[in-house]
Amino acid sequence: MEFTLLAAAAAGVAALTLDLRWEATRGNAGRDGDLGEIAVTAAVVGLLVGRLAAMVGDGVNPLLHPADILIVRGGVVTGPAALGALAWVAWAGRRHWWLVADGLSAAALAGFAGWHAGCLARDACLGTPSDLPWAYGRAGSTVTRHPVEIYAAVLLAVAAAAVAHWKRAGRPRPGVPAAVALAAAGVIRLVTEPLRPALSHRVVGWYAAAVLVGVAAAWWRHRATPVPDL
Amino acid sequence: MSGAGPASRFPYTPRMRRRLSMPLLLLVLVAACSAPAASPESVPELPVVSAADVTARLVDSSRPVVLNVWASWCLPCRSEAPLLERAAAEFAAEVDFVGLDVRDDQDGARSFVAEFFPGAAITQLHDPGGDIPVALGGSRGVPLTFFYGPGGELVSLHTGVLDERTLALEIDEILRRAGT
Repeated sequence: MEFTLLAAAAAGVAALTLDLRWEATRGNAGRDGDLGEIAVTAAVVGLLVGRLAAMVGDGVNPLLHPADILIVRGGVVTGPAALGALAWVAWAGRRHWWLVADGLSAAALAGFAGWHAGCLARDACLGTPSDLPWAYGRAGSTVTRHPVEIYAAVLLAVAAAAVAHWKRAGRPRPGVPAAVALAAAGVIRLVTEPLRPALSHRVVGWYAAAVLVGVAAAWWRHRATPVPDL
Repeated sequence: MSGAGPASRFPYTPRMRRRLSMPLLLLVLVAACSAPAASPESVPELPVVSAADVTARLVDSSRPVVLNVWASWCLPCRSEAPLLERAAAEFAAEVDFVGLDVRDDQDGARSFVAEFFPGAAITQLHDPGGDIPVALGGSRGVPLTFFYGPGGELVSLHTGVLDERTLALEIDEILRRAGT
């Protein structure tokens, strides 16, 4: 039962790895092994930071209960997790920052798509009630609901494919694909978040911030750098 | 020791120390930000109940009930406790929250309640033998959470640690079942 999260994580890593390999064959990301290692480590760092943030937010002392850090299902705060992962990517790719960030842009979106699609293994795809034709309910329930995690997975997969195609065909300037991918991930989480069940307040500020930072960074990188040579 | 030994030739040692100092500082800050626990002495002994007592409580309830089975020795139970406390505060007007401590002693149970459920709107009960969850249709594993509609109708049973989405979804289901 508890291993369903691992299945979802494996789906995310598999999607990320497949994207990197696929892009490598098309000249998008030459050092796919390095990028994959950076991405998976970033995911682990992000998970750790997000879990620690959740524990502190819940009033649980991580020093007194260090083993609780492993109970990922107890909660991971998305914003700090994303910042932790981005900080790791920034540090690990500091010598070729934009190359690494752009190389990971489509793969990260594909990895997120795999993670969200992992809801099928976790039986955790459903969100708020809906009467739409494709809405479905839990076993024994008369309430049909949005398959919100499937929405997110499809949107992220489409965004990953678009960014990968654009990197190959559109000659974007260095840093722009990474910024656009960040904004796309923020938009997709922002629009799907109201469809997810939540206990009280919905934290959408982090997603809105990702959109703003992504758009601003894309604009800055587009203005600040020349068109790359073929 | 001077800097002439073999160990000092390792070029990254001072830099590594600086790198390690920042995570350690953050860890201390994280610990300092965590809320202090209440005293176990401030928590009354948990009432010992039987399966019949719990069933009667469920049948008599006019509101939906979330029955969470926990134990102080259960690591994942600690992880989901803050979530349950938050849900109990959020849905206090619509849902009854009941905690059932199993296969545990009173000292452990009171310490757990003091640390993880201080002031929570959750009725805590004690089942030292741990037979009640099985009698209700569950298992002997913890954590375990039963979701009941009004009158004790079992809507769903969640085995393992709850996450926020699952808990919110299950509560929504029992509230809809209650017509709230």
